[in-house]
Formats: sequence, C-alpha cells, structure tokens
Amino acid sequence: MDVKARIAAKLAEWNLELTDVELDKLVLPYENLLRWQRVVEDMRQSRQLVEGMNVPESEPVLVHALDKKGGAS
Amino acid sequence: MTAAQELAYMPIEELAGNIQRKEVSPVEVTQALLDRVEQLEPQIHAFNTVFRDEVMEAARAAEAEIRRGAYRGPLHGVPIGIKDIYECGPTTCGSQSLEHYVAEKDCTSVAKLKEAGALILGKTTTYEFAYGFPTKQSYYQPTHNPWNLAHDAGGSSSGTAASTAAGMAYAGMGSCTGGSIRWPAQCCGIVGLKATYGRVSRAGVYPLSWSLDHTGPLARTVTDAALMLQGCAGHDPLDPASANMPVPDFTGKLGQDITGLRIGLLRSIYEDNCDPKLLGPYNQAVQQFERLGAEIIDVPSITLGQLQAIEWPGLFAECAAIHVDNVRNCGDKYNPHVKLFVAYGLLVSGAQYLMGAQVRAQVRDDLLKALDTSVDVLLLPTAGFQVNPIAEDSPGLSIVSADFSVYTPIFNFTGLPAIQVPCGFDTDGLPVGLQIAGKPFDEQTICQVGYAYEQATEWHTQHPEL
Repeated sequence: MDVKARIAAKLAEWNLELTDVELDKLVLPYENLLRWQRVVEDMRQSRQLVEGMNVPESEPVLVHALDKKGGAS
Repeated sequence: MTAAQELAYMPIEELAGNIQRKEVSPVEVTQALLDRVEQLEPQIHAFNTVFRDEVMEAARAAEAEIRRGAYRGPLHGVPIGIKDIYECGPTTCGSQSLEHYVAEKDCTSVAKLKEAGALILGKTTTYEFAYGFPTKQSYYQPTHNPWNLAHDAGGSSSGTAASTAAGMAYAGMGSCTGGSIRWPAQCCGIVGLKATYGRVSRAGVYPLSWSLDHTGPLARTVTDAALMLQGCAGHDPLDPASANMPVPDFTGKLGQDITGLRIGLLRSIYEDNCDPKLLGPYNQAVQQFERLGAEIIDVPSITLGQLQAIEWPGLFAECAAIHVDNVRNCGDKYNPHVKLFVAYGLLVSGAQYLMGAQVRAQVRDDLLKALDTSVDVLLLPTAGFQVNPIAEDSPGLSIVSADFSVYTPIFNFTGLPAIQVPCGFDTDGLPVGLQIAGKPFDEQTICQVGYAYEQATEWHTQHPEL
C-alpha cells in the first residue's frame, strides 16, 4: 500500500474522507511524522526512563506537577 | 508624534498614573483609542468585534469610580483587546463555523481583568482556532503587520499583537500553544509574556491542545506585560490545569541589577538554522547582556528537529481530538488547511503521542537541572525566520516542515515561563525578538532580565509609521 492509500485508510477509520488533492497534501507531512516518531523513540531510548517497575509519567501529569518539581526560590 | 499618538502609545504604567491623578480620564482615553481604531482598522484589521458602546459605558463607570476615590489599580480605565477565542461576547475563534456564537458569560481571565478595572475594547483577530494561518482567501480577513502591511502580523494572537503595536490598544490577551503569544509579539515588535503553565486560567478559552495551551498578555513594555499578568493570574478551579500557587508582585524585581546573573544560551536549537538576518540582532543582544554584567553560559539542549518531534505530533493529536467531530459535520466551514491539520492529527499513533509526552519530561528535567545548578535564566531567539507576506491561498501544512524554525515551543511543552522582548530589526525593517525563560512560577526574574535589556536599549520606544 502506498503512503497516500495508507493515509486514506487511517482516516477512514475515523470516518473522515478527504479528496485526492487533500490526500496529496498530507503525503510529505505524514512522512515527516514518521521521521519524528523515530526521533522521539531515539530520545526515549537514550535514557533509562524506567526505574524498577515504575513506568515513566506522561502528560498531562508532568506539566501539572511543575509546582512540585520546581519553582521560584 | 502628535498629542493623540503620544496618548495612544503611552505606557500603561504612565497612563495609570495620569488616570489616578485625574489628569486624563478613562473616557478621554477610550474615545481616543476608538478614533484610532476607526482610522487604522481598514489597513490593519486587528479586531473581529469592537465594543464601541459597551466600552464607552465602562469608561464612564470607571471615571465615576475614580472620581469618588475608588481607584482599583494600574489597569483601571485602561482599554485592552481580547483574543477572539476568549469567551466574552461574540466569540468566533476566527472560524466561520462559530460565526454566530455569543458567549453567555466572560471567561475567568476576562472577568479578572474587568475586576482589575480594565476596559474591553473589543475582540482581536486570531488564526482560525488559534492555528490556521490566514490567507487572502480566508473567511475572516487576515491581520496586517503594522510594520509592513504586506506581511502577516504573526499568530495566532495576531490582532492583539497588531493592535497593541499600532497604538489601537494599550495591551491585550493572547494564547500560546506553540508560540502564539511570543511569535506575533516578535513580528509586531512588542513584548509577549507566556507565564508558567497553570499560572493564568484557560477556563472559557477555546482549547487548541490542552497539555500545551497557555493564556497571557502582550504589551508594549515589560512593565506593562507584568501589570497585565498581575490582572489575570491566579488559581481557578474551573481550569483543571490551574496551579494553586501564590501570586507575587510581577513588577517586584523590575529595575534590579542583573550583574552576575547567569544567562544560559540554548545554542543547539538555533545556531545552525537561524536566518542571519535575525541571528545578527540576537547576537548583539547577547553582547548587551554581557555589558549589563550578566555571565553568558552555554547550556546543552535539544536540536530544532527534536523540538519539532516533541511539539507538533502532540499538538496536532490533541487538536484532532477536539475538532474531529466538527470537521466531519461542518468541515466546509473550516479553512482548507485547518481541516488538513485536523486530519493530520488523526495520523499520530497513540504510542508516538505518549513517547513524545515522556521525552517532554526528559527535556523539562534537563532544563530544571540547569536552572537549579548552573544558570538563572535561559535565552534564545524567538524564531529563526521572518514573518511572511500574507499568503494568497492555503499554505498547506508548512508548519510541520523541517525548516519551520520557531523556537518557542520548548517552553510550551516544558511549561516554563518565557517572555519575548524586541531586540532590533532585520534588514527588511521587520522586528526581531528574543525570549528569556526561567524557573516555574518565577515570572519575576524573567521580567527583571527582560526589563534590564529593554531599558538598556531603545527598541520599545519605536513605533510603526501608520
């Protein structure tokens, strides 16, 4: 399945149908999205995020916890 | 400058003193700004709605209060603009899909600003739902940059930035998910203050991406931005992300010396991609900080590519979650590229979204560690490219291309407070800015540093010729 068809299939799962022209406009950005996926995965693997059985936090908890993590001295 | 222009461009700090001493009345000030709006709006298009009658009525009430000695503070009797995604009267969010929506009540931050005595001049233009770039084909006219009318004013808080820069309002409120306060502030040569995540309520403000959304002021000086923040900050149980933290006097450290203060440069984000036209003024600003006695230190950080990989998929996924139903039902009332943005967000996988959220923690912890151990504030340019001329038609998804070098998102996904301050002009005469970020809830220090730079330069005294 080519990229455009894959995008159309994914959007169909959301019951969203785009025109051919619209799908064309999504091809390069989608490839960029996949590149970003690899970037983020590399960043995640570059650190030991898990301590024992404690899974890392994820948003929105992280930002909400700013008042506990830091602050003006 | 004419007397009318002097009044229109007067800093809030000075205007407030004049109002308090009854040397100028809120009615006189408001009428002067309404006249200026009438004169300039056809060129700038900074407002979706102007509350002509309501604001004059509020001005008369403010004048009466002040006359009988009930002065509320520095925003009392000061006309400001409110971005058209804040619930306050007609609220279109810059979208045809909400063309007829009228809010039943004011959102929290507008209510607080009114309580502080501010006068709401009108609803300022915004990119559609705070992220769809306007074009000449957009349903709502794009906002023109006061420094060069052929150019966009930046966004998404376009109207607030343009009206403030053009002396059509003394300041205003914007919102910021990836840079929508600091970026238009740079484009229009003014100050934009994105406080810490949770500092200012977002209740009643149309969300774009709830884990990244911030609300906050744009103003012409650091002092004015601090005064505006004072008027809207504070805990709000109606916003689940609102922080229950003490609200200090945000002007409390203005004027304090920055000798010996350690400024960390996040060079890895901008050094290899920032347009030299913008990098030049920024580097001169770094030298200015050195002359002010600050110590400049390099802080290892992420790259622009990593910044984009963290920010944009998360933003678009959350945005898609908000808009998908509307796009299915009334997608023809969205700008074509905004509809594509929503579709794009649906392509982000759950795992990618969550990994992005986890690496946000890495970056945030790295910056907090640097702020705890080696530097007092962080510094980098606001953006690496200059704002474009207003587009003829849909720009597609240019925002997700690798060369979209806006550096603001790092302080959205880490939640740290950041202030944009003008630092000169590029070779085309368009404003350039820098951003200073600090510890969570330490807006006082970033205002102190921004103020020290501002007072050592004259950028804030320059206004567009209109």
